[in-house]
Amino acid sequence: MKIINRREMLATFGCGFGALASRAMAATPGAAGPHHTPKAKHVIYLFLNGGLSQVDSFDPKPMLTKYNGKPLPVSNLKTERRTGNAFGSPFQFKKYGQSGIEVSEIFAKTAEHIDEFAVIRSMHTERPNHEPSLFMLNCGHVLPGRPSMGSWLTYGLGTENRNLPGFVVMCPGVPIIGPQLWSSTFLPSEYQGVHLASNEREIEKLVPFVRGKRSLEEQRRQLDLLGKLNKDDQGIKAMETAYRMQTEAPEVLDIKSKVTPQEIERYGDTDFGRGCIMARRLVEKGVRMVQIYYGNGQPWDNHEDIMTHKKLAAGADPAIAALIADLKSSGLLKDTIVIVGGEFGRTPTVETSGLVPVQFGRDHNNHGFSMIMAGGGIKGGTVYGATDDFGFKAEEKPVHPHDIQATVLHLMGLDHTRLTYRYSGRDFRLTDVEGSVLHGVIA
Amino acid sequence: MKRGLLLCAALPSIVAASDFFEMKIRPVLAKNCFACHTKSKMGGLDLSSRAALLAGGKSGPAIKPGTPSESLLVKAIRQEDPHLKMPPSGGKLPDNVIADFETWIKDGAKWTDAKAPATAEKLWSLQPVAPPKSKSIDDILKAAASQPKTDKRTLLRRVTYDLTGLPPTPAEMDAFLADKAPDAYAKVVDRLLASPHYGERWGRHWLDVARYSDDKLDSERDAPRPNAKYYRDWVTKAFNDDLPYDTFVKAHIAADAMKNRPDLLPALGFYGLSPEFQDDRVDVTTRGFMAFTVACAQCHDHKFDPIPTKDFYALQGVFNNTELHEYPLAEKAIVDEYDRKKKDLEAREKDLKDFENVQAGALANIFTHQTARFLEAARGTGPADGLDKDVLERWKKYLARTNREHKYLDASTKPEDFQKLLLETDAEKKDVDDKNHITLGSAPNREDLSQANLLSLAREKFFLWRDFYHNNGVYTVTAAKLPPYLTGEFKAHHEYLAKRVEEAKKALPKQYPFLHGIADKPEKDRKVMKIHIRGNPQNLGEEAPPVFLTALGGGALTTGSGRLELAEKVASRDNPLTARVMVNRIWLEHFGEGIVKTPSNFGNLGERPTNPELLDFLAFRFMDNGWSVKKLHREILLSQAYQTARSERRRLDAEAMRDSLLFTSGSLDTKIGGDAEPITEKNRRRTLYGSVSRRRLDPMLALFDFPNPNQTSEQRITTDVPLQRLFLLNSPIVMQACDDLAKRIENEKDRVTAAYRILFQREPTSKEKQLANTFLTSAKGTLPEYLQVLYSSDEFLYLN
Repeated sequence: MKIINRREMLATFGCGFGALASRAMAATPGAAGPHHTPKAKHVIYLFLNGGLSQVDSFDPKPMLTKYNGKPLPVSNLKTERRTGNAFGSPFQFKKYGQSGIEVSEIFAKTAEHIDEFAVIRSMHTERPNHEPSLFMLNCGHVLPGRPSMGSWLTYGLGTENRNLPGFVVMCPGVPIIGPQLWSSTFLPSEYQGVHLASNEREIEKLVPFVRGKRSLEEQRRQLDLLGKLNKDDQGIKAMETAYRMQTEAPEVLDIKSKVTPQEIERYGDTDFGRGCIMARRLVEKGVRMVQIYYGNGQPWDNHEDIMTHKKLAAGADPAIAALIADLKSSGLLKDTIVIVGGEFGRTPTVETSGLVPVQFGRDHNNHGFSMIMAGGGIKGGTVYGATDDFGFKAEEKPVHPHDIQATVLHLMGLDHTRLTYRYSGRDFRLTDVEGSVLHGVIA
Repeated sequence: MKRGLLLCAALPSIVAASDFFEMKIRPVLAKNCFACHTKSKMGGLDLSSRAALLAGGKSGPAIKPGTPSESLLVKAIRQEDPHLKMPPSGGKLPDNVIADFETWIKDGAKWTDAKAPATAEKLWSLQPVAPPKSKSIDDILKAAASQPKTDKRTLLRRVTYDLTGLPPTPAEMDAFLADKAPDAYAKVVDRLLASPHYGERWGRHWLDVARYSDDKLDSERDAPRPNAKYYRDWVTKAFNDDLPYDTFVKAHIAADAMKNRPDLLPALGFYGLSPEFQDDRVDVTTRGFMAFTVACAQCHDHKFDPIPTKDFYALQGVFNNTELHEYPLAEKAIVDEYDRKKKDLEAREKDLKDFENVQAGALANIFTHQTARFLEAARGTGPADGLDKDVLERWKKYLARTNREHKYLDASTKPEDFQKLLLETDAEKKDVDDKNHITLGSAPNREDLSQANLLSLAREKFFLWRDFYHNNGVYTVTAAKLPPYLTGEFKAHHEYLAKRVEEAKKALPKQYPFLHGIADKPEKDRKVMKIHIRGNPQNLGEEAPPVFLTALGGGALTTGSGRLELAEKVASRDNPLTARVMVNRIWLEHFGEGIVKTPSNFGNLGERPTNPELLDFLAFRFMDNGWSVKKLHREILLSQAYQTARSERRRLDAEAMRDSLLFTSGSLDTKIGGDAEPITEKNRRRTLYGSVSRRRLDPMLALFDFPNPNQTSEQRITTDVPLQRLFLLNSPIVMQACDDLAKRIENEKDRVTAAYRILFQREPTSKEKQLANTFLTSAKGTLPEYLQVLYSSDEFLYLN
């Protein structure tokens, strides 16, 4: 049995973390980093699971509108299902901010902050299927078995607040695949994402075991006795942390009683909106990474009717905008990378397969899609890369999820080629043997 | 001795000059160049070694080490010369990659041949198991064996937990302490090995390797497999019965082909319960039994071990020539009866449904022709006489809706126009459906559907149609609401059909239990697999007929799918891996660390054995003793090395912790085997029987380091994190145990002593007694609160 033991880790490394660790509300150091001076300390990853359509959100395509209803002049790329004619976006695009970046009306509020964002329009990934793409975006490999990015980050950097988990995942329910997406797999399980069912409003249901039938006073007496019975202080320290967590976690997450209705209103009283409020409050308390999945299953998977994107965006847009605004006004945006995107994009052509009853939707598209990133060292007001005239395929400066992962790690002070873990006889990395830091999106 | 290990491994590797090639150059070559420039040698150029690069192709040497500007390779990837552009498709390589190549050539184009595939002659684990030179474990481990013995109490706790996953009882401790006979300890070992709880503990260790779960991995929904338990219970029994390990292995791979051994069939659950990832079966077979990472070779020849890609597809082909198969645990007559009655029920249900659909369709047609009147009545501008009340109610609600997905209906819509539109839309929908039906043919499968190029109504018309005719549409009459509309012959016939369904439902017995397994496909469906070049199923290479691993001597697998021959070769005395791997797994559980510290990787990237002589001694003896696992335990446990005092402590794993809570509080249900049940405070069975889910692992199991059941697990890693303590503070499972234990000891004169004896098998010290009394009297703590402190203490959670 291999025991990862903080204190011994410190002793073994002897790299000066001891002083840090003994401070109140101590940070736990990571096992590896940082490798260089970080530009960011936290990540908030807003995952629009199911697949956000790029041509209806952040990648305007006038040519697609021109060809609407007609075959594309080039043949359709192979995706999961059969698609037909060009399908121009039913939404209007407009220029926003100093940068004049064009954004769809369904993200109009987020667009007000577009000067904070780098809009990456040349994403691509391996497969047009949810499972491998979810694994790739989250864990850097199309097959299961690799640790999630949040696990790598907390493994590499530790967390700034021992009273809260370092990697928190929220979803009302679970995205498809589920917990494997935030699993630490072969990394020690303390780096596993802690999943909160963000549709729960009662704190007891939101955080398992955060409260029980004993009062804090009763528990205080129990801990005092335990301190006298245990021969060394390691166990009691962990127990004291858990004891404090019972107060700290509700302080942050019980937004029903801790947050004003006005604030909830700004984010939207939706699972995603409340999730964004919790994410901000967690980051304020030093949590390393918070990931929010938009919804149970795969809500953005609009094969049948792309107008559903408008309803979904009505939940996402105000929350993203309010999150950016609040992080900015508190000064935390410069330390926090905010990422918005799905596992792939959607075809610019209409789906005509026998699996949809009406043809007003888009199939999965792994060949080209968009992601946006703000804060934490990101160069705002930037457009990076481009798809072809119709938004099908990433053509200019193609960006693979490994590049995003390399970039996030870089901004967080980690070299993605050096953040390795030896398991079953070989060194593993989040980015496998690929990935390049996207210097073009870094301020 | 143990804790430092993983930490060292966790240190980031420094990018050495030689690693530059592995990280920056080789992957790019592999991805962009090797397809044409290795064996195919396009343009005469082979890029598979430094020598080949220097030799170059038709245009001359590909590189000039030290001088990137004069290297053809650099010219080609810079794409400045229109006649020399590489790679030929997929665009130019990124600038930073080109810069890496220049750096690499400038620094001498170092190629790490040291990591080139090893040959079988060199790899330690492929050498024959050496016959023992020493007489015993202690002979080999002289230094360790001469350490002082631990005290008897610690020893009994250690060995009892090791073999059963449970603590000793106070009575067992008393008996052991009182037994001064020289074989007192040996008797304990024999008693524990004979306990049915032994199989529960050691079966679980194997289930980690076997990636056991009680459900099917489905990314969208929970899919329990209530019959999975037969595999789990078979494994438990195999350990309890000391089934020879070679038979155990063979049964896993090919029980269905083993003559006269129907008792072994449940072992096929090893594959029948697979998570069904493409490489799962090869991976679990080769890593699980032989610690050989064959699945690494599915895209390329193994970079570090003697495993060519062809070996992977040769084995993958064996499994591809099998199919999932359910082996009924019932007489044929019962199975046949069930199948027949199930079919009958389905046919009757279809008759009923067809009739209901026709009637509901006729009604919808009538309502459609009354649309203008319905709309006027719903608006309050026309009479409701003669109109269906339910439909009118739905119409009113529909009219009030503000979020309709079409614009055909507003205050100014003329009723007759709307009726006409609905009639046209319904007709158009039927037309589209008919045409699509012709395109698709009858009974299309999912793949046909996904690739079909069909027609549909325009969006708004579709939503109009859906609002009226689809599930819960305004004109939809569901089966439940249909009867009042039916009269006369129609009513009688409907009742007749419904009655027939009810009768068939009643007649259908509960489905018989069955074993999840696999069976060979019929001969006509068996195929020889072709290599997937670079793992791509669209890019097929040469055929890979079923053959055993070449590094282990190969050998064609010719009968059926080849599984029985494969099984014989895995579980053979001549196979140097199988026995070594198993004795290492057993040593690991007894000592907390294997002799080889990478228990599922005995390849070049795995660790070397810390004591090769010991590993071979155990492996040889294991085989000589008829692959008896219990004899091996005995040999290890009776060694001095096992009995010495240890400085490091081990935390109880998820199962041992929860089982100990139940056992000591007196509420453990000790029944062996049976259904998996969710782990709650109401479940009093051993954790082995808690439901293990691939989709949603139980939170307590996940919290306490239970391995991911989607993949074979080589070893548990133990973490100590505050969230685990939150479980101890607040979980209903812990609370229940405290209450139960309090009840168990409430009538004892000295409750504190009783608690210490049950939990720790010792008397409390006077200081501990005094602390307890202070807590229970002056601090007004309750007995359950006090017991919770003991359950949270290091002495309960850790073993020495």
